[in-house]
Amino acid sequence: MTAADDVLAVDSVAKRFGGVQALGGVTLQVRRGEFHAIIGPNGAGKSTFFNTLTGLITPDSGSVIFEGRNLAGFAPHQRVRLGMGRTFQITRVFPDLSLLENVQVALLAHDRLTLSPWRDASGHRPADARALLERVGLAVPDYQPASTLAHGDRKRLELAITLAGEPRLLLLDEPTAGMAAQERLESIQMVHKVAGELGLSCLFTEHDMAVVFSVASRISVLVQGKLLITGQPEEVRASEQVQRVYLGEAVIEQGAG
Amino acid sequence: MNGARLALIALVGALFLLPLALSDFWIFIAIEVLAFALYAISFNLLMGYGGMLSFGHAAFFGVGAYAGGLLVKKAGLTSLAAFALVMPGAMIAAALVAAAIGFFSVRRSGIYFAMLTFAFQMLLYTVALKATGLTGGDDGLTGLRPPGALAAPANYYYFALLWVLPSVYLLHRLVRSPFGLTLRALRNNPLRVQYSGVDIRSHQLITFVLAGAFAGLAGALFAFSSGNVFPGWLNWTASATPIVMAVLGGVQSFLGPALGAAVYVLLEVTISGSTEYWPLFMGIIIMLLVLVMPRGLAGLLDRRRP
Repeated sequence: MTAADDVLAVDSVAKRFGGVQALGGVTLQVRRGEFHAIIGPNGAGKSTFFNTLTGLITPDSGSVIFEGRNLAGFAPHQRVRLGMGRTFQITRVFPDLSLLENVQVALLAHDRLTLSPWRDASGHRPADARALLERVGLAVPDYQPASTLAHGDRKRLELAITLAGEPRLLLLDEPTAGMAAQERLESIQMVHKVAGELGLSCLFTEHDMAVVFSVASRISVLVQGKLLITGQPEEVRASEQVQRVYLGEAVIEQGAG
Repeated sequence: MNGARLALIALVGALFLLPLALSDFWIFIAIEVLAFALYAISFNLLMGYGGMLSFGHAAFFGVGAYAGGLLVKKAGLTSLAAFALVMPGAMIAAALVAAAIGFFSVRRSGIYFAMLTFAFQMLLYTVALKATGLTGGDDGLTGLRPPGALAAPANYYYFALLWVLPSVYLLHRLVRSPFGLTLRALRNNPLRVQYSGVDIRSHQLITFVLAGAFAGLAGALFAFSSGNVFPGWLNWTASATPIVMAVLGGVQSFLGPALGAAVYVLLEVTISGSTEYWPLFMGIIIMLLVLVMPRGLAGLLDRRRP
């Protein structure tokens, strides 16, 4: 079933690597404006699933529909142009470029100007680039090279780069990976706020249950390449199956607290 | 007007006045410096800006040189007017070869990219060696001379300068343009560029073709001052030259590789004039320079960055 208000509709996506069934037919929808978390133990297939959505991996079968368009055959950069922005588990920014240039590259890409060989790149929408840096809460001088940023700020910068492409769907792979506990909550709440302000839909993978339950409007649980359940946070928390997967209630209870 | 701009104007002025102060021998050396400066800058577009270490850049220098030579010797572009077409012809030939090689090579990165460029270059070297009818084989193309008044060393110097200066200016615009900024981003993190909506293979291929075209121009310019082209110009050892020049001068600055080319050529001339073991001394000097100045000669001049 594909409702009109689904931004992303994934249907029976399967992927096998040699003898391992990484994804065993995953069906999932992202509704417009929702903040949708994918959780699951290590090796559950979260990364494979993400890479399937973003075009790094071609699924063996199944379909991915973004805003009514079947993405089969779309290269990663084409998916971005359609309005799917992503961040990476291992933060990816441009260390040698200034903060401003980091965002300007993405603005140029969005404006299809990356092949422009003559005019000065530094003049391209600096005010918009600064506004994006401000939006993600980067208070560092924007002429600094990104290599000087601390880990948390690099994550913010990568979000600003992603937002420069004016995505309608944000795909965040472990957005709080590598952060301290308190920083994680602040970080995800910042992302949640920004996505709300811009009216973006968001699908994210996350390990930290406190983070998940603090912002997710719906949660999908992926286990051994199969979707166990998709539901409201309360439903997922109450699910016995989910509790079994996480070896007792400890993790989920913690998250609720 | 800032100091850097003044220095640049002084440099260009000096380049125009240079032949007045030099003997014919040193004018030939100056032409060699011009050609290799452009060659090294074109190489650095790939390595310094794009992070693409090519082991086969001599292929394009050589193809440009052969194309220039063949246009004069076999296609009969011997008049002064026709000679104007030789340089664009050499650039187009080098660009076409770069497009073919680049099409396959940019699909890989790092050492695999380097190996592919290396392999294609060896292929071209073999062709230059064995297609005797066209290339003269081992003997190469000899007796290449620019036509008419251009045969005078000073005049050919100005001819070369009028090709090199605009080319360097174009490349400088390019590295500061959106294309250049995207290229620097690509060196830092290709996947992030791709996930900003850029077709990175096309971007790298275009860079490869541009670098090849300007290397081809450099090769053709040099061919008519040296008077000949040999298969060795396409050999893999020749591909070390632009690498050494760029590293010597400094890959992080735009003109660094040009400075490196000048120093390299002058060192070679002075040392090879006094000892037959000149490669040994070149090696030692370059080793010391790189050890003392990890950011190259240009790094010494640029005190803004640590």
